[in-house]
Amino acid sequence: MNNLKILVVDDDPITLLLLEKRLQKEEYAIEIAKNGTEAIALISKHYFDVVVTDLKMPGGLDGIDVLEASKAVNHRTEVILITAHATIDTAVAAMKKGASDYLQKPINFDELMIRLGKINNMKKLVKNADDLREAMDITEKNAGETIQNLELTVAELQNRLSEIESVLSEKSIDSTERIQLALSMLSAT
Amino acid sequence: MTKITPDEVKFIAQYICNISGISLDQSKAYLFETRLGGILQEFGCSSFNDLHYKAKADVSKALERKIIDAISTNETLFFRDTGPFELLRHKILPDIIDRRSAKSSGRLPTPIRIWSAACSTGQEVYSIAIVLKELLPDLSKYNIKLLGTDISDAAIAQSSYGAYNKFEIERGLPPDKLLKYFSRNGDNWKIKDEIRAMALFKKLNLMLPLIGLGKFDIVLCRNVAIYFNLDDKKKLFDKIADILEPDGYLIIGSTESLTGICPRFEPKRYLKSIFYQLKT
Repeated sequence: MNNLKILVVDDDPITLLLLEKRLQKEEYAIEIAKNGTEAIALISKHYFDVVVTDLKMPGGLDGIDVLEASKAVNHRTEVILITAHATIDTAVAAMKKGASDYLQKPINFDELMIRLGKINNMKKLVKNADDLREAMDITEKNAGETIQNLELTVAELQNRLSEIESVLSEKSIDSTERIQLALSMLSAT
Repeated sequence: MTKITPDEVKFIAQYICNISGISLDQSKAYLFETRLGGILQEFGCSSFNDLHYKAKADVSKALERKIIDAISTNETLFFRDTGPFELLRHKILPDIIDRRSAKSSGRLPTPIRIWSAACSTGQEVYSIAIVLKELLPDLSKYNIKLLGTDISDAAIAQSSYGAYNKFEIERGLPPDKLLKYFSRNGDNWKIKDEIRAMALFKKLNLMLPLIGLGKFDIVLCRNVAIYFNLDDKKKLFDKIADILEPDGYLIIGSTESLTGICPRFEPKRYLKSIFYQLKT
């Protein structure tokens, strides 16, 4: 079940169309943007699991800006950068800023699909872990309340038992009185 | 993945209990396979028996440390259960500060000694540090000793470094605290120096005598005894009772109980939380 929400950003209309069509074929939910400004506007409006963006784009806002905007909105959104051969260093620098991967042009679609598959798997694992934690939280809370109440009750009962024990072994009081005292302590709440 | 036989489970489980107190049985055979499988391969062991033998024969204990790192469960998060931290902020810390300040009569900084036993990767310690920072406007008036210990070298290393990935950082930390006390570094978040400076981290095996730690005003020992057998639980809390100040406080995990384990403590309630103090 491929239901990753992906935003594709590229200033080259042909690349954009190719990516859109190819990813839609894999049943991912795709939105497109043709420059950094459009991309950032979409990112602030919708949630995306992945943003695939060209690194160098005209118009003032480039792939790094898109990356930073995406991480600021939701650090769980994975960002894949598409780089031309000459900008590998920039791509590596971008990885340090939180990009999860980079792909060189011309795009090898098989490689892209594999990377997206891995991201999908990881998201499912994370969801699993989140669910487990939620279940554990609720179980712990419920169990915690029960156990703490029991703990206090047991402590209180132990105290009362030792008080009754002292009364029953108090030799200075006669036994009938001792028993009456003990009985009244037992019935006290 | 190499499979483990029931006989091997028996021996390895005993070995692990001896070196760490972690109590595992046949029902946890899968845990040995998944958690120790990589170590088997890394050290060229042909079987779990072989691993057991090599670990015991290793004088440097490097293999033993790796096994402990791999087999211990590091589940932790910031402000786990929230209750204990409310307890610290609204009841325990104010009480301790009142009593200790009265004793030192304002000439020396008020000492507050806190120990987070089995602190894992440090989230509990930093949560306590944050509570202290927010409660006490002038930390210089206090001589705060905040110690975090764990049996796993790897966990202590991460605690000490104070950096967390995006999954760890979002568990339990309200966004305002995240921004106030951590700085971002790519996909990681690192605790700010002023908070880091409040804590000390040390490797410690709770199965061994608790020497050289001194006494504490507050001890948090949460969700670690759950991995021990009854005998080891009793010994552990007995040792903790020995190093707690007479009017000190013990906080354990929200689903844990000391009934039948350590009669030296009595439970007390504050709002929705429970803490323990030594019986007088």
